Amino acid sequence: MTEETLEGWAPEIGRGITLEEVIERAFDYRGNVTVVKTDGTELEGYLFNRERDAAEPFVQMFDRAGDGPYDIRYADIRSIRFTGRDTAAGTSYAAWLRAKESKKPASGA
Amino acid sequence: MSVPLSQMWAVASYVLKQRLRGTTRYPLVLMLEPLFRCNLACAGCGKIQYPAQILKKHLSVEQCMAAVDECGAPMVSIPGGEPLMYPEIGRLVTELVARKKYVYLCTNALLLKEKLEAGLFEPSKYLSFSVHMDGLREEHDEAVCRDGVFTEAVEGIREALRRGFRVTTNTTLFDGANPLRMREFFDAMMDLGVEGMMISPGYSYSKAPDQEHFLRRQRAHELFRTMLANPKRRWKFNQSPLFLQFLMGKQDFECTPWGNPTYNMFGWQRPCYLLQEGYAPTFRELIETTKWENYGRRSGNDKCRDCMVHCGYEPTAVNHTFSSWRGFRDTVVATVTGRN
Ligand code: SF4
Ligand code: SF4
Repeated sequence: MTEETLEGWAPEIGRGITLEEVIERAFDYRGNVTVVKTDGTELEGYLFNRERDAAEPFVQMFDRAGDGPYDIRYADIRSIRFTGRDTAAGTSYAAWLRAKESKKPASGA
Repeated sequence: MSVPLSQMWAVASYVLKQRLRGTTRYPLVLMLEPLFRCNLACAGCGKIQYPAQILKKHLSVEQCMAAVDECGAPMVSIPGGEPLMYPEIGRLVTELVARKKYVYLCTNALLLKEKLEAGLFEPSKYLSFSVHMDGLREEHDEAVCRDGVFTEAVEGIREALRRGFRVTTNTTLFDGANPLRMREFFDAMMDLGVEGMMISPGYSYSKAPDQEHFLRRQRAHELFRTMLANPKRRWKFNQSPLFLQFLMGKQDFECTPWGNPTYNMFGWQRPCYLLQEGYAPTFRELIETTKWENYGRRSGNDKCRDCMVHCGYEPTAVNHTFSSWRGFRDTVVATVTGRN
């Protein structure tokens, strides 16, 4: 069984995907991302919230050191790369059962 | 029901006060998550799937208490992560007890004996250790993905009881749970001497990695009906009897997602403990700006369709008890007769 992950994804905004869509994926992603701002600077960290309905929509992040939260307006974001490890990938109950089964002696009561 | 009278009274008078004031959305239990770190890594647990810097962080006691004061709920549940790994857990509990909050410290109990021996806690009617127990040894160790955890948890429970603490268990039931084994489990927990047990079906939320593993509604009703049929009088459940009836399919409730609001380092979680659809900076904003109509079974929201989890439906059961004579009568009858 393969588990889909966005780890390593570096979408190009405008090529079939909007910035808003990428932000939603980043919000759902259980790993660090790198936000590239329109001024060329970058912030790597965990994007834990976004306020789509605010007058000026923004995302909220804790950086790699855990400092923050930092608010970044959608208008200041050029793109987002999914740079950190996806902590939700490969941790399924089925994977654990498979590992447990493989460790059991053949007769396993 | 095994909830002490003083606690029932505190909750009843709180609910009545809210109703007299005309407050329509009020919290019953604050789910306070001071950290996400845990010493277990149970498959299917969405609470621990964060990058290292998030797992290292925690709320300060001051942040926790500001949330407690703002929210005003009479009960505070401290889930996790593992709250016994929170460096200030002793001080946090002391402050909560001083505010006369009924505290459920939800723990896997691996560190319980050690923390009790260190003198971190004082027995109080306001403090219960709510120990995560998903069944007898085999089922529990399988659910938490580590052998030996059941035995350690039992040791922790024994030590807490020996020292005069209130102890309850909380059990999440997964697909394939064996009702007969669960009945044996209830016997075993009552033999240990716990005050009561809490049970709830698991939930398939989008960030949990093993959705197909959790109970679907219909199968859940069947399971709970079989498991709770002819309940033994010695079984005590530390939850509303109407919620148990709901689990068995005998009550039709709608979710009350604001009943158990969740606060953690990200803020006030929308809309409930299970779904993470965003965060509000204050409790007031959570209540006032969350689009509540988008949640609950009748909303048509796919994520809510099969949900029967206690954090959404137990508040409904409690409200039902105090909002009509019928609800009150149902609760009294179930409590007095022990019949669900
Ligand atoms: S003990 Fe609780 S918080 Fe820790 S991994 Fe298991 S389910 Fe998650
Ligand atoms: S039904 Fe209620 S508790 Fe369940 S997922 Fe929906 S909002 Fe949350």
